[in-house]
Amino acid sequence: MYPSLKIVLCFFLLVSSSGHVFAHELTPTYVKLRQSYVENVLTTSVNLWNARVDVLYYKAGVYDKDMKPVPFFALPGDVVKLEYTERQKIDVFISTVEAKKAVYICTRSQILKGLKQKTVVSSKICSKIIK
Amino acid sequence: MLKPVIVLAGSLLATGAAAQTEIVGTVDSKCIIISETSGIYGNPSPNLLTTDPTNGGVKPIIRYDVISADFYKARIAYPNTFSTAPTLDDVVNWDGSVTVSEVSDSTMSDYDTNKITYNNVTEYDLTVAGSTWFTIASEADYGYTKSLPAGSYNAVVEAECIPL
Repeated sequence: MYPSLKIVLCFFLLVSSSGHVFAHELTPTYVKLRQSYVENVLTTSVNLWNARVDVLYYKAGVYDKDMKPVPFFALPGDVVKLEYTERQKIDVFISTVEAKKAVYICTRSQILKGLKQKTVVSSKICSKIIK
Repeated sequence: MLKPVIVLAGSLLATGAAAQTEIVGTVDSKCIIISETSGIYGNPSPNLLTTDPTNGGVKPIIRYDVISADFYKARIAYPNTFSTAPTLDDVVNWDGSVTVSEVSDSTMSDYDTNKITYNNVTEYDLTVAGSTWFTIASEADYGYTKSLPAGSYNAVVEAECIPL
């Protein structure tokens, strides 16, 4: 077999196999809170990428060091609808008081009720807030 | 007669050669969770649901990709409840495990030795950059050899990636 043909075949095998792969990504790994346009409210942004064809919604959350929820506000919302392979920037707003205990900003995939799959993977990826 | 055509073609080619499209990319530390194989429960006996392949099940496989070493830990929880199921009037005894099934770097081979397990959760420090495949086993045993009611049963495997 010609070497070039081998490469082409390998490429198509890779592409076809990756068609069954469902990924979830959140960047950056570390974020820093900065002053927002509102007094006593800090803000930062994270980028969410949905490559899970089985997931349409993601829920953002802010947590302390023990993974207990911390009050926050997010734009465009704490639950984001994201089509397959779409990216979304999420702006997170935390009050200066709550920001003292906030450690993680996370996104978790949401599973639709009535999904036919027997076991489902719920993925959660976090970014860490640098003080 | 051909001269104007050649000049026009030449100018078009020159324009085409001048056009540039930029592709921008950045490589930074990040974690990607990839659900490679969805699990299926086999039902070898009336009281049992299991992902064991010898009993007709399929074990779910999750891949973690990390760009930089020592930035993340993986936290994987096998199910300890059904997300959807018919009404159950007896206890379900859950069991399961998480193991590393494949690695992209041989130095990841000690992940299973160094893992921390508590309740239904297993934690791994992702100390090497690359891909790691985790296989999850799950088993639900109903009552004392009691038959599970007919219907559809779903359970959720939770996969988390937490920065260190």
